[in-house]
Amino acid sequence: MGDAVASVTTGARTIDADFALIGHQESWRTAADVLAVLRGPERTPLPDEEIKDILPWIPPRAVCHVDVGSIIRTKSGAARARGLYIDSFIPPDRLEAAYVHENIARVRGAAACAIKAGAKIVSLGGFSSILIEGNFDQLPERHHTVFTTGNTLTVAFIVQGIQKMCALEGRNLSRSTLLIVGATGDVGSGCARCLAPIVKRVLLSARKVERLRRLAAELQDDGVQVEVATDLQQFSTEADVVICAASLASPSLLLGRIAPDAIVCDAGYPKNLSPTAEMLDAKVFFGGLGQITGGMKFTPDFHGVLNRHPFPDVVHGCLLEGMALALEHRFEAFSQGRGFITQERVDEIGTIAARHGIYLAPLYNADGPLEDGLDARWNGREDESMGERPSRTVGRIERRTSGHRRSSHVRADLMGGLSAPYFI
Amino acid sequence: MEPLIDVNCSPMECTSLSPSAPIWQDILAQAMTGELLAAMNYTSLSEICDDPAEVADALEHSECERGHAAAFAAEGRKIGVEVCNNVDAKHWKRLRDAFLRCITERDFIGCLIVQEIMLESFAVASYSRVGKVGPGSLGETFARIAAEEGEHVDHAMSILRAERARDAQRFDDKVYRLHLDVMTALAQMLAKECKDGHCEVCHASCVKPSLFEVSLSAAELRGASLQQYLKTLDMLGIPGEVTLRWVTQLPV
Repeated sequence: MGDAVASVTTGARTIDADFALIGHQESWRTAADVLAVLRGPERTPLPDEEIKDILPWIPPRAVCHVDVGSIIRTKSGAARARGLYIDSFIPPDRLEAAYVHENIARVRGAAACAIKAGAKIVSLGGFSSILIEGNFDQLPERHHTVFTTGNTLTVAFIVQGIQKMCALEGRNLSRSTLLIVGATGDVGSGCARCLAPIVKRVLLSARKVERLRRLAAELQDDGVQVEVATDLQQFSTEADVVICAASLASPSLLLGRIAPDAIVCDAGYPKNLSPTAEMLDAKVFFGGLGQITGGMKFTPDFHGVLNRHPFPDVVHGCLLEGMALALEHRFEAFSQGRGFITQERVDEIGTIAARHGIYLAPLYNADGPLEDGLDARWNGREDESMGERPSRTVGRIERRTSGHRRSSHVRADLMGGLSAPYFI
Repeated sequence: MEPLIDVNCSPMECTSLSPSAPIWQDILAQAMTGELLAAMNYTSLSEICDDPAEVADALEHSECERGHAAAFAAEGRKIGVEVCNNVDAKHWKRLRDAFLRCITERDFIGCLIVQEIMLESFAVASYSRVGKVGPGSLGETFARIAAEEGEHVDHAMSILRAERARDAQRFDDKVYRLHLDVMTALAQMLAKECKDGHCEVCHASCVKPSLFEVSLSAAELRGASLQQYLKTLDMLGIPGEVTLRWVTQLPV
């Protein structure tokens, strides 16, 4: 038995962590699968009722080690970063406001685990980010650990996803009316700042009218046509491109306010929009996801359990931000607070991510993939498959500033730059 | 060594006024049995200690645990029930046997791990929960004893941390071996239902299905106990991802 014991404990000895990812399971099914991996294949999985009894009692803690690879080569091979996935064990049925204090305490506990593990940068995934984005002062004392919500890279991938979907559907974004639901949150307002200058009109929806007015005023200063409403039915026109940065119970809530064939990006958390019978022609996709082309390894092996996507090595942008910054050795709180995400910061984190082979993930929704995942043009892999090129033009962004349009080319060199061409 | 309180008393028919008295009777019986077992464990521990101060310490702890057992018996009398105990009941006996194996090996550190990390985690967590819902002095007694047991854990923690600092791998392996032995037995005892027959402590049928009548549940007591255990292992410095796997692999 001694050997068996040694293998159990040595196999997961704590290592110095470049990064830590804080997350939680969004359904009882995923929670059950995590516990099944931990129990091992030789033991019967726990019954669902037992899982619901046990999980709420588990204190926040590391679940596995995560190794992520870059496409940048060093003398010793591909650059890599090592980290931990820390689960706050927020029960999937306790995500609503009634549990906010309990959940903040769990995120604090998870943050303490990251600090104890010596993580240099910590990404706050999923609901953790929503809980903490306005409450950074509630995180525990730390000396050598920085925290990022990861929202800037999430915004980058949402924006890229919208542009890609428009291109795939042959839509002209500059003639579109964009609706953002949850517009005043960190992600929603970041998307508004990035996309408002390149669409025809923007409709902003959120619960707090004062915040809506402030954001609208900011955008109108740049010459953007903006409408705000706390109720979707109040808008004077229908949208043909929609970003749901706040979870909706059903896409049918959008009925009547969006074009029948609207492009709908589910950027909320948890992602729960899917095409319904009433909206068969809507093009719904999950936004804010990126793919690591340099590879990702979990120890123990949680592939397909912690990242449940129809494509390999796909991760939420909020978590990828910490990984990208760790690969870049930029241990800084890149995304903090609410309302500070700008086009420049989105470009910057997108460039850092792309430099390490982290690109927009192939598009999919609850029904499955919307593409084959091999679209090299969009997924940034032409450099690997087609040999070296000194530089390439990756896109053109049309911006409207102070009532007039200007265009700018965004360039990226071989090892960096934005992965996705911007088609207007 | 004989426990101070007769372990062979026959179950009594409860005729007290409170309809929940039979439930408290069984809760008190489990707690009293645990305290007597702890007293026996500390007495055994004193027999392998070389340092007179450690001997005195162990005997003092033993006396303290007997006092807790007596306090639980007294709480039973207040509500009109006789509180029985049975340190030879099947689950408790397995826990005692695990401890005695450490004694046989003169493994002082192993003894502390079993008693202070594993059994006391269970005691502190479950007594705390009972303390919150127990009526009057019964609840206060559970809460007070939970606090005192917590102090025992704190005392052992410094010794165990120092031991782990010497050789973390060896220490963690020892904890895991004892975990397989002790926590498996404890997990079976804490299961939501007693699937393998009567526990030999409850005075009639199993008390677990009735716990909701006193605002408790077997799931809650198990969850709180395992949470306390994980937190105690965290304080020792054993990696959380390792202890998480240990706990999720326990029987339910």
